[in-house]
Amino acid sequence: MATKDVLDTVAKKFIQIGLPKDLFEKNRFNLLVDRNRVIVRYPAPGVRSEVVETPTGVKTKVYVEPGTKLEEPVTLCFGAAETTEVQTTEGEIIVGEGADVKFQVYGAMAEGIKLKHKNKLKVRVEKNARFEFLDLHYNGEETFVELDTETEAYVGENAYFRSVFKQTRGRAGKVRIVLKATVDKKGVAVFETKMIGKKDDEIYVEDVIHLNGEESRGISKSRIIAVDETKATFVGETYGNAPRCRGHIDCSEVIRGKDVTVKAVPVVVVNDETAKVTHEAAIGSIDKKQLETLMARGLTEDEAVDVIVQGMLR
Amino acid sequence: MAPILTVNDVKLTIDGKPILKGVNLIVNEGEIHAVLGPNGAGKSTLASLIMGINDLKEPDSGEIIFKDKLINGLKITDRAKLGITLAWQEPARFEGITVEEYLKLSGRNNPELDVVECLELVGLDCSYLSRFVDDTLSGGERKRVELASILAMRPKLAVLDEPDSGIDFASMEDIANMIKTMRDRGTTVLMITHREEIAEIADRATLMCDGKVVQTGNPKEVGQKFKTMCVKCEVRNPELVGGE
Ligand SMILES: Nc1ncnc2c1ncn2[C@@H]1O[C@H](COP(=O)(O)OP(=O)(O)O)[C@@H](O)[C@H]1O
Ligand SMILES: [Mg+2]
Repeated sequence: MATKDVLDTVAKKFIQIGLPKDLFEKNRFNLLVDRNRVIVRYPAPGVRSEVVETPTGVKTKVYVEPGTKLEEPVTLCFGAAETTEVQTTEGEIIVGEGADVKFQVYGAMAEGIKLKHKNKLKVRVEKNARFEFLDLHYNGEETFVELDTETEAYVGENAYFRSVFKQTRGRAGKVRIVLKATVDKKGVAVFETKMIGKKDDEIYVEDVIHLNGEESRGISKSRIIAVDETKATFVGETYGNAPRCRGHIDCSEVIRGKDVTVKAVPVVVVNDETAKVTHEAAIGSIDKKQLETLMARGLTEDEAVDVIVQGMLR
Repeated sequence: MAPILTVNDVKLTIDGKPILKGVNLIVNEGEIHAVLGPNGAGKSTLASLIMGINDLKEPDSGEIIFKDKLINGLKITDRAKLGITLAWQEPARFEGITVEEYLKLSGRNNPELDVVECLELVGLDCSYLSRFVDDTLSGGERKRVELASILAMRPKLAVLDEPDSGIDFASMEDIANMIKTMRDRGTTVLMITHREEIAEIADRATLMCDGKVVQTGNPKEVGQKFKTMCVKCEVRNPELVGGE
């Protein structure tokens, strides 16, 4: 474990790019990793974990004991306070039967650094459990991150899994986000991605949901704001493979600038006559009436755009 | 009373079709001024020109003057900064913005802003503060929030485009009282409507038909004329605007 000095240095750099101060002042972290060093580790009740430092990052295994119910989110941070060639994080999370927990995970890439980050995550949400995974990314305006992250989830019978990827400030960098879920009987998987790309950022988001259990449900929702010369692609695939399963893909990409390239590819496949999968996709500039409404209240066009965009990314 | 808004011989043609054919209108400071007229008379088009929305920044000819300042061509934000605002007939929906945030944004230059009171004045309780201004609000609720946002802003001139539409008849009195409160707090109200009952709360009224102003005066008289001559008429009544 690191000294207070190291923690203070990291805290300063992460707060600078927007991480809430409170997290540090009130010692909220259950795990804080800078590149490949564990800086804070504080167990949450009912949550067992193993963390191993590797040459380029960390490997974690988390087991939430069956029936564990936590009011407060388990708070983790995987960050980099300085430039490093690559950071590799690998994780496995098992949420035991009937548990109900929320993980708040901060990805913090300090101002001005360059980094390739690779992440692989396996999630198992057992029968009747509820698991929310909020993946909140903070980058500086001058940070450049190549992020490649893949999540594979199994959602058990009557279980609920919600995974949210949010990056609403700073630059996205070059990002590839792949989320896959297999959903069992009466299970629910919800994927939400909210991002903003600027300058020559490249964003690729792929959500794949297999509704394999009877009456299972899947929602894949994305909001991508593409500014300047950003290239953004969203691919949403939902497979309705079981009786009475329901899936919905809702993607909306907002373009702001002449040189953006955006693509939305919803794919819906149904293999059961009682299954139903729907989709809505919208690509366009910011809604004019929204803009004019805020301007009629005295906001400038830029202020109005900011309010609308931050609302969409909320 | 001094005029706060003067619309002077305003003409506008859209896609070769004359929509406003020389509109003249004076709104006095401190009054509720109703604009009555059948569907298609050009009321919303006139409202758009006053606010500068919908790509209608200026008329083809004529002047729009706010407090001695010609506002033809001015940006929406600049008109708002002068003290003009508008409530759309169908207000926009915003994802991820709460009613409280919306009211605070609208009233950010109002030092006496009280968001709870704004809601109460439009017949909504404080539980609405945390609701989103998105499509989870019903049409009537959204309209009320829009009127609350005007109360929050407390502009010098509020153009309300059909504030009574989408609001059930029983609540009409609430809305009428709210508009009077707006006026009593120093906002001049230009209220567009096609219901003469609501126009009766106005201090003065103007009747529009087929892109022209037919009469300005006492709301009861104007309402009566509207009722007898416009309600059954489709778009233009030759008895009002002359046969062409
Ligand atoms: N953008 C537009 N393009 C073409 N015609 C329009 C446009 N906006 C309004 N109009 C026409 O202008 C006339 C007046 O419309 P409007 O101002 O909405 O009337 P009101 O609000 O009195 O019902 C109508 O005939 C309408 O069809
Ligand atoms: Mg209209």
